[in-house]
Amino acid sequence: MSDKKQLLIIDDDPDFVDGIKSILTKAKYEVDVAYNPKDGFAKLEKKHYDLLLLDIMMGRGAEGVMIARKMGRDAKLREIPVLIITGIREQIAFLFGSKTLHPHFVETDEMLEKPVEPKLLLDRVERLLKAGTAKGTKKA
Amino acid sequence: MEKRDRILIIDDEEVVLDSCLQVFGSMGYELATARDGTAGLELMKEFGPDLVLVDLMMPGISGFEVLEAMRRQDPTVVAIVITGYSTVGSAVEAMKKGAFDFLPKPFTPDELRVITARGLEKRRLVLEAIELRREREMLRENFAAIVSHELKSPLGAVQQNLYGLVAELQDQLSDEQLARFERLKKRIDDLIKLIQSWLRAVSVPVAKIKESFAPVAMKDVIARAAETMQPHAVRKDITITSTVAEGLPPVLGEEGSLTEALVNLIGNSIKYTRAGGQVHVTAESANGRVRVAVVDNGVGIAPEDLPNVFGDFYRGRTAPPTESGSGLGLALTRRIVEAHDGTISVESEVGRGTTFTIDLPAWNQANQSVPTAAKVSSTRDPGDRT
Repeated sequence: MSDKKQLLIIDDDPDFVDGIKSILTKAKYEVDVAYNPKDGFAKLEKKHYDLLLLDIMMGRGAEGVMIARKMGRDAKLREIPVLIITGIREQIAFLFGSKTLHPHFVETDEMLEKPVEPKLLLDRVERLLKAGTAKGTKKA
Repeated sequence: MEKRDRILIIDDEEVVLDSCLQVFGSMGYELATARDGTAGLELMKEFGPDLVLVDLMMPGISGFEVLEAMRRQDPTVVAIVITGYSTVGSAVEAMKKGAFDFLPKPFTPDELRVITARGLEKRRLVLEAIELRREREMLRENFAAIVSHELKSPLGAVQQNLYGLVAELQDQLSDEQLARFERLKKRIDDLIKLIQSWLRAVSVPVAKIKESFAPVAMKDVIARAAETMQPHAVRKDITITSTVAEGLPPVLGEEGSLTEALVNLIGNSIKYTRAGGQVHVTAESANGRVRVAVVDNGVGIAPEDLPNVFGDFYRGRTAPPTESGSGLGLALTRRIVEAHDGTISVESEVGRGTTFTIDLPAWNQANQSVPTAAKVSSTRDPGDRT
């Protein structure tokens, strides 16, 4: 097994995914991709990932939120840090929606708005991975 | 099936009730009657009339009180006052209080039919207007969603790939090629920002702003807005000054959006003022109002343009060609001010300068612990959402 950190991107816009993936691959991460929530969750259950990059607005609505909630109910998946990458419309929903979504996510959550500059992206990914490792060792 | 119009008749005279019932008998209305004001108001709640005929002179609570209570309950219900000839004067008074029309006793069946038909027509128009306004708001919100998704998502994907390509090709690109990439990224970035400001302007959730109202000191708001715009002013060698009256009362509002409104006004003044000019912000209070003015000695606005400056996507023709903008800053500002039950106005003289004035109700701790506007919107909101 390689020492590379395993990342998963779940986002329904293949072009956007290409842009993100090339930056992460260049930075020596191992990146898998799922283009819909169903495949994404199947991948999460099958393989261990160190970090999930998650889009919120997919399919018919905020299906990304459903993934985050499902992960929260799973003792193992709960440990995976989630980096939310979202467009402006979702952000409005976050700010003004009837309920705040953040409490449903794991504590290491971060949110970035599309498009994400490479430096910012890599910085956040690195920080979340570190926090994730710290959390894992504390539990052990 | 079409909903039948509902008419409630409130009169203490049996004979009036009877004749009304007879006239309306075959006309397909749903009818209810009450012998006094208290019973009438009670019925109003469960019956939900479109139109109410109410006698002004009744034992117990008067027709006037019924009118007032009705307006509080549902201002869209049409009220027609029944009155004796001797009390025509008070019928006029009742119309000032919001009654639609009056019917002097004794009246003919035709008079009753005509006035009722007109009253119901008015009710239909009022309800239609409310519905149209609601639809317009929905369009506005949907437009925001479409702009966001259909325009911003593809741009975001393009930008993300530019980022990615630069990262991949970094070592192979010449400086000139890298510079071209940078320019492309900047162009797309400008477009995304433009879309965001449009989105922001069309989707300011006015009702939501009201939920977080608190007493706000305009002095702080002015200071923060001036500070935000300072870099822009310095770049154009423009000075921003401010004068805030001693003991200025606070206003009831949402600090963030008020700051945004002022940032827009100051930014607008900077944009339309030549290098070396001045922008002066004043705040004073009078008659329970707080008035904030942003005064510049810039290029001014042509008289024929003045009525349009607060409209969506409007950009002044006197704009210096070097200045860019979405044309939404002032429209957004107006919307924010109106959400605060305030008004905004503009005075200008070409070549001399422009003054924008925001007029807001001062917060009065004694009788204004909860804003009435917020109460109204909170009782109506649930219905609007469904």
